Amino acid sequence: MDECGLAEMAEEDEEIDIYNNETFGMDMDTEVVDTEGDPTNPLFQFGEKPPALPALPSLSPSSPPFSPRARPQLRVQGPPGRRGRGQRGGQAMAQMFEDPAVVRTVEGRPSLQSLDSAIVDVGSVSYWDDLDPDAWMLSSYERTRHASGSVLQDPAIVCVMDSHAPGRGPNYLDSHYPFSNSSGRRGGLRGSYSNRPFGQRCPSQINTMLPSSPIVSRRPFTTQQPYNQVGGLPSPRPCPSTPQPLTPKMMQLRFGANSPRPSPFYSPSSNRVQRFRFPGPVTQLHPQHRRLLSQRQQRSQRKPDSWDPYCNLMSAKEKEWIIRLQMIQLQSENPHLDDYYYQEYYRRMEAKLAEEELGMRGKREPPKLTTPYVTKMDSYTPVVHIEGSLGQVAVSTCFSPRRAINAVAAHCPHEELKDIRQQRLDVLKKIEKLFMVLLEVEEGQRMKAQVLGEGEEKGLMEKTEIKVEYIYSQLQHPDLEAEEEFLPCLLVSKGKQLLARLLPFLSHDAALKVLSMVTSHLPVLMSRDSDESLPVLYPSLRIVIGGMTFSQLIGVLKDFTASLPDSSDGSVCLSLVCQSKFGLSLLYALLSQGERLLSSDVPLEPSIGDFETWTDTVFLVASQLSQSALVEPLLLPSNLLTLFCRYLDKRTIHQLKSNMESATGYLALPS
Amino acid sequence: MNYMPGTASLIDDIDKKHLVLLRDGRTLIGFLRSIDQFANLVFHQTVERIHVGKKFGDIPRGIFIVRGENVVLLGEIDVDKLCDNVLQQVSIEEILEEQRLQQQAKQKTEKAKKIASGHQNSDLTLDEEFYFNDSTAQDIMLTWDQALIPNTEDENMAI
Repeated sequence: MDECGLAEMAEEDEEIDIYNNETFGMDMDTEVVDTEGDPTNPLFQFGEKPPALPALPSLSPSSPPFSPRARPQLRVQGPPGRRGRGQRGGQAMAQMFEDPAVVRTVEGRPSLQSLDSAIVDVGSVSYWDDLDPDAWMLSSYERTRHASGSVLQDPAIVCVMDSHAPGRGPNYLDSHYPFSNSSGRRGGLRGSYSNRPFGQRCPSQINTMLPSSPIVSRRPFTTQQPYNQVGGLPSPRPCPSTPQPLTPKMMQLRFGANSPRPSPFYSPSSNRVQRFRFPGPVTQLHPQHRRLLSQRQQRSQRKPDSWDPYCNLMSAKEKEWIIRLQMIQLQSENPHLDDYYYQEYYRRMEAKLAEEELGMRGKREPPKLTTPYVTKMDSYTPVVHIEGSLGQVAVSTCFSPRRAINAVAAHCPHEELKDIRQQRLDVLKKIEKLFMVLLEVEEGQRMKAQVLGEGEEKGLMEKTEIKVEYIYSQLQHPDLEAEEEFLPCLLVSKGKQLLARLLPFLSHDAALKVLSMVTSHLPVLMSRDSDESLPVLYPSLRIVIGGMTFSQLIGVLKDFTASLPDSSDGSVCLSLVCQSKFGLSLLYALLSQGERLLSSDVPLEPSIGDFETWTDTVFLVASQLSQSALVEPLLLPSNLLTLFCRYLDKRTIHQLKSNMESATGYLALPS
Repeated sequence: MNYMPGTASLIDDIDKKHLVLLRDGRTLIGFLRSIDQFANLVFHQTVERIHVGKKFGDIPRGIFIVRGENVVLLGEIDVDKLCDNVLQQVSIEEILEEQRLQQQAKQKTEKAKKIASGHQNSDLTLDEEFYFNDSTAQDIMLTWDQALIPNTEDENMAI
C-alpha cells in the first residue's frame, strides 16, 4: 500500500497545480499532456461490455458524442497541445454528469472530485453500487487516511451511497463541464499501485487493482469510464470565449455551472504557505487596505507552518473565491454612503499615518480614496440567483430595511392621550427623517464639487433648495407659537446636530431667525442641556454672526440681556450664561462681531437707539463678567478686551481681564 | 485581522481548532477545514462535547459539515492555553447517563410548573405558553403587525 513515493506525490502536486491554474484562470497557457492511449486502459479492459451494459444505453442516446469522443481521448498519445484543452472543454463527457447541484458520493473511494458546497459535480455512482465498501476501505485505507478522510467511514454515508439507483440517465446542465484529459504522467504511473485516489485520477490504478477487486465483475463501470480513465482532475474550463477581465455580472454567471470549480478535496499541498492574491480586478481596495494586506502577506509567508497533514484543504484559490464573492457583495456606486464605516476607518487611519509622517518626513502622502468598485447595474434584482448554487447568495436584498420595518407606528387610536414619551418619540422620529434628507443635501453639496454639466448642476441646486426648505419647515413645529418653533427639536441633542449642519445651507434670514430663536431661548436650552451638546451649534452660529449687520446684532443682543418674565433683572440670564460654555462663547462671539463692525470702516446704518443699546449691553456684560466666575469658552475672540477698554474704566477692565484669563488659562490680550 | 479588515470573514480561521455552538444546542469542537459564502463549515476530527454540570464527555464524530444558518457562535480554541481543572472529563457512557438524568429532572420541574400555572393540558412548553398567551406578548405582536403596514404619506421621503 505504501508504494506511494514522494515522487508520486510530487507529481500529484504538479497535477493539482496545473488543475488549479486552469481552474482559476491564472495560468492559461499551461499545456497539459493527454492521456496516453493504452490498451490496458480500463475502458478497454472492461470494454468487453460497454455497449451491453444497462447503464450505457441510457447514455448513448442522449449523449451520442460520448463514445466517439471518449475514444480519441483515450487514444491520444503524447503530443501535448491544444488538444487537451480544446477537448476538455465542452465535451459531452460533461453530459455524463448529473445535476451539479445534487450531491453524489462515490462509494469506496475517497472522492477526490471537487466537492463544493454549492456545486457538486461528481460522476454517476452507479457502478459502485454493489461494491463492498469494506474491501475498498481496507485496500485504500492508507490513501483514505491521507486523503479526504473518513467521509466514507461513516456507515450512514455508505448506506446513502448504496441506495443510489444505478444507471441514472445523464442530464447535463453543464455542457462545459470539464473533464480533464490531463495529467501528464499517467503513463508512468500506470504500472504502480499508487496512492492516488481512484476516481478520476488513476486509470492505472484500475488496471492493477481490478483483477483482484470486486469491481471487475460490476457492470456499470463503463459509465464511469470516460470520467475515470482520463484520470486527472476535472478541469473546469470556463467558457473559452470569456475574455478577461471579468465584469461583476460575469462573475455572477460564473458562479454557476460555468464557474471555475474550487480545487479538489485533497490537496497535498506543495503550497504550504498560502499564496494570497488580492481579490482580482473586480474589486478595488482602499490603498491603505492594500498596503496592510501586503504587509500581512509578507509576514505570513515568513512564518513557518507547523505540520498538519490536513492543512490547506482549502486552497488559496478557494479562499480567494470566497473573498471575491464577499467583495462583490460589497460593491457599490457610492461606497461612502453604503460602506461608510470601512471608508471612514481607512480614511482616518491614513490621516493619522499621514500626520505622523508629516512630523517625520515633512511630506504628506496624498490620501487617495479609491473610486467605488464597479458601476452598479441599473436594475435592482431583489433575488440574486447563482446558477447551480444551492441557495440564495448572501447579498443584501433590502436596501431600505427601515421602510420595510417602518418603525413608525400606525396612527395611535387615542390621540388625546399622547403622553410626553409619545411626543418625544414623535420628535425623534421626525429628526431621523430630516437627518436623512440632510444627508442627501450634504451629498449633493459634495457632488457639486465634482465637475457637473450646467444643467445638472442647476437641477441639483434646485433639488437641494427644496430639501433644505423642507427640513426648515419641518423643524418648525406647527402646533407651537411662532417663538417656540424649533424648540422641541432643539432640546434633543441630535436635533441640535441637525440644525448645526443645516445652518450653512440656510438663507441668511432663515439663519438669523434660528440664531435669534436660540438666543431668546437660551436659558431653557442651557438648563436642559444635560449632555452638553449645545456647543455643536457654536461653529455654525459663529459663521452666521459673522455675517450680521449691526442692527441685527443689536436685536439679538437685546435678547441676551432681556429679563426673564418672572425675574427682576436681566442679570439672571447673564449669570446663567456665564456658567455655560456655549452661552458664554455665543456672547463673546456677538460682542466680537459688534466690535469688528464698529472698528471697521463699513458704514453701519444703525437704527435709532442702537448705539445706546450697544453701550448699555457692553456695560452690563462687562459688569457681569467681572463679577461672576467664568467658564472656559469655546473660543475667545481677540478683540474683546479692546472693546472693553474703550468703554470701561481701568479697574473694571483689570478685573475682567483677570477673570477671563483665569477661565481660559492664557492671556486674553497682551496688555 | 483578516484578508478583509473591516469585515468579518472566516478565512483566517481555517485549519484552526474551533468550538461551535449549534442552534440545537450541540457543542462541536474540531478543526475548521473549509467554509463557503454561506458560512457552511467543514469540521475535521470533530468531537461533540456534552456538558452536564461540571462534567463533560467527548464523542468523536469525525467530519462534520454544518449548514451555516445553524451556527449560533463559533470561536477559536487556544491550544496553547492550559485547560483549567474546573471541568472534569468523564466517559461517554457516563455523560450520556448524566444527560439523561438531567433531562428527566427538567421535565419533572416543567410539569410541576405547568400544573401550578394551570396550563396542564396544553401541549406547549411553558415558554411557548408565555409567548402566545400572555397579553403583553400579544400587544407586542400587534404593534409589530402595525409597524409592517406601510406608512403611505412618507413614501416620498425615504426613512
